[in-house]
Amino acid sequence: MTRAHATLAMAAVTLGCAAAIAELRPTEAQPASLAAEIESETDHISALELGERLRRGDRNLLVLDLRTEREFQEFHIAGAKQAALRELAQEGLPQTSDIVLYSEGGGHAAQAWVLLRLRGYRRVYFLREGLYEWVSRVYEPRLASDATPEERAEFEKAAPLSRYFGGTPRSDVPRAEVPTGYWTGHTGGTTVVAHRRGC
Amino acid sequence: MITPLRPEGALVAAPLLGVAFGWLLERGGLGSAPRLAGQFYLTDLRVFKVMFSALVTAMLGAFWLDRFGFIDLRLVELPETFLLPQALGGALFGVGFLIAGLCPGTSCVAAAAGRLDGLGVVGGMLGGVVLFNGSFPWVERFYQSTARGAMTLSDVMPVPRGLVVAMVTAAALGGFVVAERLERRRS
Amino acid sequence: MNRSPQPYIDSYFAGVGIGLVLLASYVLVGHGLGASGAFASVVAAGTAIVEGSSRAGASQAVAPYLPNGLMSPFRDWLVLELAGAMLGGWLSAFFAGRARIAVERGPGIGTTTRMVAAVAGGVLMGLGAKLARGCTSGQALTGGALLSAGSWMFIGSCFLAGYVLAPFARRLWR
Repeated sequence: MTRAHATLAMAAVTLGCAAAIAELRPTEAQPASLAAEIESETDHISALELGERLRRGDRNLLVLDLRTEREFQEFHIAGAKQAALRELAQEGLPQTSDIVLYSEGGGHAAQAWVLLRLRGYRRVYFLREGLYEWVSRVYEPRLASDATPEERAEFEKAAPLSRYFGGTPRSDVPRAEVPTGYWTGHTGGTTVVAHRRGC
Repeated sequence: MITPLRPEGALVAAPLLGVAFGWLLERGGLGSAPRLAGQFYLTDLRVFKVMFSALVTAMLGAFWLDRFGFIDLRLVELPETFLLPQALGGALFGVGFLIAGLCPGTSCVAAAAGRLDGLGVVGGMLGGVVLFNGSFPWVERFYQSTARGAMTLSDVMPVPRGLVVAMVTAAALGGFVVAERLERRRS
Repeated sequence: MNRSPQPYIDSYFAGVGIGLVLLASYVLVGHGLGASGAFASVVAAGTAIVEGSSRAGASQAVAPYLPNGLMSPFRDWLVLELAGAMLGGWLSAFFAGRARIAVERGPGIGTTTRMVAAVAGGVLMGLGAKLARGCTSGQALTGGALLSAGSWMFIGSCFLAGYVLAPFARRLWR
């Protein structure tokens, strides 16, 4: 074994041991990097993606509903757990799962995202337009009669999901009845949750 | 924070990365089937040494770059886990590797260096893919079964990522020591 | 080339070099290297030519690898990368005095046996890599370094199978 080999081995040992020690406690994130993440839109997950992962039975997913207990009982995303914002400031959450937050319109979820990220949790995402997005994009998707090809493609993905969750997809709907907003005709935004499509 | 290249830049990077990859594979002797097959007889363990040196280097590099905020590992595509297909596929692949003496990447390197057996492996692989495509209707359910999504070792064992990194590094280094001893004894 | 070939470089240095290339790939393009995916793309393109693109597109196995399929940007990337690997492999062999038309085989068998084994092994690897969504580059290296559970399973079953069956393939290599 030459000196070069020994050096490499030492470097590996050092970096490896340091890695073990480094993760004993999550490091708190800095506001600057959080701002960068928010701007790069890696902080949210689309309702469609969430639906697909839930349907696949993804075990690394923890979905948290930030509304009141009563609102939760009335309706919630299948598999979600109810959590109060205050709890998120203190409770321990699994570090190895993807945590998905949602609220009614996305506001509280976005705030909770900042809270959790500041605490050092790395894999945190939220539904940008909350339950509204879930219902209009997955649970009760609607296809306008004059839909564009992109809207059709998205509907094609959403319809089976909708049925899976017990909702009602509707196609051939007058344009006026199709909800508009950030997500219209726009499949996705940038979703981070890594999806290797095979080699 | 280093942001990934735009698609156009990525396509330019592809062959450049590939050239470096192919060059190093050939330089390391991995373009030669009898040498690659030697690993299964414990006489020539370069495959293990090269592969795990590469793995540990990339793993430590990725961990620390992410840790220091130079990259966001969440943006790097993680191969999805499909338990049964990957177990069976791995086994089939291993048998094929044993018989052919080359893997997909190294077969291209061998072929490029003029080795006709490398070309044979390339041809066989294309045939294997055709066979798979043809039998897809029957294989599809198995192919999609036992999906676990983007699952890492630190999701499987309740162990933080950093510790997994340390363990893999230790195992690799230990493996290198054993490999050196084996080679000295057998050649 | 008549000069005697240069020796191979140290395995560990080659490995570290490849690891750095892989790391560069993660950083620059957000994913790792791969090889078998390029083979899938070539087959898809060939299928589209032979059977026509609509029939090819109807096949669930082929469709993702066609120009507008799900894998599309990724497939182009892999094909270019593998083309680069071939160039790199040739350049290295050429400058090392190792580039020549030859059939490398074990000492106990002839050329024909070797070629048959090469093709047969290739077929198995093609099947295995499709099932596993990758090969030694895409799963073992790329996924392994990222600690993907499936990739490590692939590493385990690949080498286990190879070592267990090695005695039966002795004739090929010893």
